[in-house]
Formats: sequence, C-alpha cells, structure tokens
Amino acid sequence: MGTGRSAGTSRIGRLALASVVVAPLLAACGGGSGSSGTALKIWDYSAEQTDFHKKVTEEFHRQHPDITVQWQSISQDEYKRTLPLAFQSGQGPDIFYWSDNGPLAMSQLLDQKWIQPLDGGSALPASFTERWPAGSFVNGVNQLDGKTYGFPLSESTYWGPGYMFLNKKVFADAGLDTAAPPKTWSDLKTACARIKAETKAYCIAAPTKDVDFQRIFYALAAGEYTFNDWFFDYRKGTFSLAEPQAQKVFAFIQELKKDGYLAPGTNDKNFSRQQFASGQAGIMMDGTWLPSVLTSLGMKSDQYAVAPHPVPDDGSKGALWSQPDGNKYWVSAKSKQSKAAWTFLDWMTRPDGYFAKEYLKDGFGTLAFADNARYITDPAIRRITKIADEPGYRVKLPLPVAKCPDLVKSKAYVKAIGERPTWEYEAMSGALNSGTSLRPEAQRIVAARQKTLTDQLKQEAAQGLKVSLDCFTFPDWSYTSDYRPAK
Amino acid sequence: MTLAPTGPRPPDAAPTTAARPRRAAFRSRPGRPPEGNRERARGRDRLWVAAFLGPFLLLYLGFTLWPLIATVYYSFFEWSGTGPPEQFVGGDNYSRLLGDPLFWQAVVNTLLFAIGTTLIKLPLSLLAALVMTRKWLRAKKALRTVFFAPLIIPVAMAGLVFTYLLNPSNGALNSALHGLGLTDGTTDVFANRWTALLALILISVWQVFGQYMIYWMAALQNVPDELYEAAALDGASEWQKLTRITLPMIRPVAVVIVMLALVNAMHVFGLVVTLTGGGPGTSTYVVSYFIYRQAFGSLPFAYGYASAAALLFSVMAFVLVTSQGLFVRRAQRLRKEYGV
Repeated sequence: MGTGRSAGTSRIGRLALASVVVAPLLAACGGGSGSSGTALKIWDYSAEQTDFHKKVTEEFHRQHPDITVQWQSISQDEYKRTLPLAFQSGQGPDIFYWSDNGPLAMSQLLDQKWIQPLDGGSALPASFTERWPAGSFVNGVNQLDGKTYGFPLSESTYWGPGYMFLNKKVFADAGLDTAAPPKTWSDLKTACARIKAETKAYCIAAPTKDVDFQRIFYALAAGEYTFNDWFFDYRKGTFSLAEPQAQKVFAFIQELKKDGYLAPGTNDKNFSRQQFASGQAGIMMDGTWLPSVLTSLGMKSDQYAVAPHPVPDDGSKGALWSQPDGNKYWVSAKSKQSKAAWTFLDWMTRPDGYFAKEYLKDGFGTLAFADNARYITDPAIRRITKIADEPGYRVKLPLPVAKCPDLVKSKAYVKAIGERPTWEYEAMSGALNSGTSLRPEAQRIVAARQKTLTDQLKQEAAQGLKVSLDCFTFPDWSYTSDYRPAK
Repeated sequence: MTLAPTGPRPPDAAPTTAARPRRAAFRSRPGRPPEGNRERARGRDRLWVAAFLGPFLLLYLGFTLWPLIATVYYSFFEWSGTGPPEQFVGGDNYSRLLGDPLFWQAVVNTLLFAIGTTLIKLPLSLLAALVMTRKWLRAKKALRTVFFAPLIIPVAMAGLVFTYLLNPSNGALNSALHGLGLTDGTTDVFANRWTALLALILISVWQVFGQYMIYWMAALQNVPDELYEAAALDGASEWQKLTRITLPMIRPVAVVIVMLALVNAMHVFGLVVTLTGGGPGTSTYVVSYFIYRQAFGSLPFAYGYASAAALLFSVMAFVLVTSQGLFVRRAQRLRKEYGV
C-alpha cells in the first residue's frame, strides 16, 4: 500500500511539475502576450535586420504593452515560396513585406486578395500622410477608391541598385586608389587588368545566377539608356532587351567575362557578397542595401568605398530609374488585427520615432518619411546619397497609371511580365556562359511579352477600359531627366 | 468381433463423429448453421481488412487521389492559387504547354537524367554488390555503411556541399585540380549544359548508389548456393558463374530495379534547385523544376499552367510504370521458370 501511495503521490507531483513547466512554454508559444494582449505577426526577408527588428519590437511593446510584435525574417528565396503557401493555408502574417513589381505591387496584391486597406479602410489622418513628400500617395499605386493600402517605406532617389562598391584592400594591393574609381567602361577594364595582374583576387564579384544578374546589368545599362526593372523602355513603349543599347551592355559584360574579370561561376548574390567582403574580389555592383549586408558579413564601411557606376567611354546616355516602388509593408487581407497593425505602422513611420532613427543610424538604407541626412551616420550610405543627388544619376520614370487611370483595372502588363518572369535573366545567363549572342533569344522574349501586352490591352479596350499601348509610351521624355507630365 | 460395414454410406446418412470429430463438434452447436458461421467469420475478416487498410486508404485518398483530382481540375483554369479558381480556360494550358519549348527541354533533360543515372548507377552498384556478397570480403558492415551514408544526407545539403566543392572561384575540388595543374582554376562545370547535366547525374549516382547496392545484394542473396556448388564441381570459372548463373538468375529482379531506378530519377528536383537552379540559362531545367517555377516563380503564380504540366508529366510517368508492369509480369514468368 505504501508503495502505491508513493507512486500516486509521485504521479500527482509529476503532473504538478509538468503544469508548472509547460504553462510558461505555452504562454511563450502564444507570443507571451497574455490572454488579453494582441500578437501581431510581421514577415519579411531582411535577415540582416533581425537584431534591429528585435529592438524595434521590444521598444514598441514597451510603449504598447497590449500588443506584442513577432517579426520574422525569412531568406528571400524561401520567403517567395512560403508567403503564398501561408496565405493559402490561412496562416499568413498580419503585416508582410512585398516589393515585387514596384508601382504594380498594390494592384497585384489586390488581385491576389492578399491585402486590406490601412486602418480597416478608414480615412487616414493628415498627420499620417503629411509625413511623406507631396505626391507620395498615388491612386493605383498605394491608394484605390479613396482607401490607402500602402505607404512608401524607402524613398526612391537614393534607394535602388546601381552603385559600385570597391574593396580598399584589393585596390591597394593592386596599386589602385579607391578615391579615383573607374569612371568609364575602359577605366573599369584597366582597373580589372591591374587587379588581375597584381593580386590573387578576382576583379568583379558579379552574381549571374537567375535574377541576381540584374545587379551588374542594371548598373552598366544605366549608362546607355533608362528602363524599369522589367527592361521596359517607356520612351519607346516596348520591352527593350533586344534594343541595341541592351545588346551593347550585355556584350560588354561578355567581354569582361572573356577577359577573366568576372569571378568565375554562376554565383548567387550571397556568394558574391561574401567574395567581396572577404577580399576575394575587388569590385561589386549592388544597391543601397549593401552596406548593411556587408556589416552583417563583418566588413566595416571603412574597408570599402562607394562610387557611381561606370559609364560608356562616350559619356552617359541614360540613368537609373526612380519610381514609386517604396511601398513595401502591407496589411494582410486575412488579418484580424487590423487595428493593431495600423497602430504599429503608424508608430513605425513617425519621422522622429524610434524606428526611423535606429534604421537610419544602423545604415539599413534611406526612408521616405524621415530626414535621412539628419540621422544617417554610416559613411557608405552618406556617400550613396551624395552620388544619387547628382543630377541625372537616378531619374523619375513616367507613370503609366497617371496617364491612363484605367490601368488600375488592367492586367495586361502584369500578364506580359508574368509569362516566364525570369526569362530575361535565363537568356542572359545562358548567353554569358555559352559566349553566344543574346540577340536571338532577346528578340523572342521581347516579341512574346510585347504581343501579350498589346493583345491584352486590345481585349481590355474592347471591354470598355481606356487603355492602349499609348499609355506606356512617352516619346517626348528624355532618358536623362525626370519625367514631368505635360500640364 | 464384428467388422464395421464397408459398403457405401447412404447419401442421407450423417457422418460419424468418430470419422470427423472436429466438424461434428462444430455442427453439434445448437441453432448455428455452418454457413452462417462461415459468413460471420468472413464478416469479421472483412472488418479486420477494413481496419488495417482504412488508415492507408484515408491517407491515399487525402494525399494522392484528392490532389490528383484537384490537379486535373486546376489544369483547366488560369489560377494564381488564391481563392477559388474562377477563370476557366478549357484546354488552353495544355495547348500552351505543348507549344512551350522550355517544357519540352525540361522533358528531354529529365529523360537524359533518368537514363544517364540509371546507366551509371545500376552497373556500378551491381559490381559493388557482387563484391560485397563475396565470402572472403572483410569489413562488410563498415563498407556497407560507407556506401549507404550519402543516402542519409538530405538532397539539399548534398547539393549545397557540391556547389561549394565545385565552385570555380574557391571550391575545394577546383583548387585541388588547379593545384595539380590539371585546370586553370576557373573550370566551371555548371557553365555548360552537358557538363552541368553530367555533374547532376554523377552527384545523384553518388548519393543513391548505396540504395541500389542493397537492392542488388538482396537479389544476389536469393540465388541458391547449390547452383554455384554444382558449377564449381563442373569446373566453372568465376566469370562463367557470373554470366551463366548469377546474371540470368537475378534478371527478373533486375527488371524491377531498373524500373524503380528510372521512375525515381524522373522525380529529380532538389539537386537541380541547389546545384544549377536550372541553369546555365534554362539548360538544366527538369520537369519538376519547371512545374515548381511556374507555381512559385513569381507573382502572378501560374498554378493552372503548373497543374497542366504536372498532369502531363504524370501521364508520362504512368506510361513508364505501365510498361514496368509488362516487364515485371514477364520477369515473374522467368522467376517461375527458374524456380526462384
């Protein structure tokens, strides 16, 4: 009997102990918000900002004890796969990051039924919208039918691809000075020849795997002509990879490879960034986000310099693009925490708030709603802002939806770019590795996309939408200046 | 002493309990006709069958049949994966697919991969199995573990390891080849369609080699020892034993192994994702990767188109499996002929 009682007592004891141990664990699983609190899930793919996000969520929770934010960063490739599945299975986040296709993001996300308006569709206070420069809220880009769905996070003058990063040690070993960076394509080849001859490093860490090819192509092509991130040339109203300018840029990249100036291998951006950070390559062309990535790789900003992208020897004839593509954080259509989401986003976008100050201080980039010059301390980002402030470095693209408001309802462009979305990069990677001409495949790509665009526009026009290829054509615009619509 | 009657029993006479004690006892249960008992027993059997098959059938319905039906259904829609499919497009996805050169390139690559891996891994693993079943061989367990170990490594991890090993910038293999003066240090096996495909094939063979070696070992162990002993008595050489006894005897099983190898290889996906990403360009696209890119490439997702591709590929795999059935039946006949 004694044994039985002892066993029973021990069983009860174990149960009690288990409940003591498990209860906090369960609470932790629930986000630790307690029974009355709200847990807000945010997803993005800025892995280098994980520590920053942790600080942000702690600060927000300190100021709003009833809301606990769980901010999760997933790797970019994984994210694009995980998010759709999460939405399908009803397990999506409350707020998510999505920047694909820039100004088209909102209409695409609405089409996918992934987003809801900010603050449940209520009219937003002027104190919120006034945080951004005039013209930041555009119908068809982040507003629709009087409701606001998004807001520009990063501004579009400094933010974007097209900067050249130079590893100071590799340059010094080659007897080169980063203060005198290569300015033209010939200069670039000369510098590469020197690096190749004098050091064990490769000259350019150029990712050429899939869409990562864009990093070197965008930077070099900006000296030839101006296009958007889908190679669309608004001056001609056509997809442009088959155009002579694009062919010339690609041929130059092929020359760099042939001369052994590109680090070998079909590498992705992460591999190339590591090559650059570890001194295995002297040059990398990338965007405003690179300084924070390099910091996470252990490379400090005094170990590298930033310079404008090199231009053709006969001078620049184009520019990098600027468009309203900074709308990145969206509230999920399925979220039941729209009020809490709004509270968080309103708090996050305060120009002098914790998020803005710390984001800029940590050098993650530039913000559309804050005084960048005041808070940016990172020398590399400061240099980037100086470079992009030069007239004609980054120009405002025409905005088709402003010319033809019915484009908000059109799916023509999305359909045209949606057919084999990475076709351009597949073609470039194939031609680069085989050393063959890009032109035949580029012509096929352009013909296919252009046909889809025009056919679909005609169909939509027949259904009553005021849309045509003319909506995408701005023949009077110059590649090197901001587009300004005729009044 | 009287003898028991030996004449034929009258047709209506009941069997004696002495002659059939069990059945008699069975029949002697009051009010329970034998047919009913048999039926009841059968019913119980059916219940057990249902109980054992139920979980499998449920999983099969949920994870095989239902997705298959859904795939057929989705393939007739233009659907981005969110909400119910609304835009019915009939056979458009199929006609587009049949005219899509990338799909056919993926099909060709898949077949090349399947045939290539099968042609390499099966003879190699058979050779290894022949050695591993020799009585004189020491450390069999250790060797078996060594050959089987790569199979335990997840495909994605194996792909990443080889990505770094083969990377022309700083990969260990390239550095070693460069160090030996065999290359200029910039050899990129993934820069060319054929070398990239060959790399995929060889890495895949490295990974699944152990699995097929085990299959062959199982087949070899089924060959009766007496045949070898008889052959030895007749003065047969090892080569004669191999070609006249071993290979003919394992032929029926070999057919199954070949078909398994082909079908398994047609599902290649993870290695392509991690090693080549379908590149250079699209030159190493395989069907699974093609489907994946269509379904998850970028917005708007083309689930309808991906479903059509998946279904068309399933039909191809089905044809292969059906042909496997024919070969297996012939193999079974051979097994009976050989008496194994």
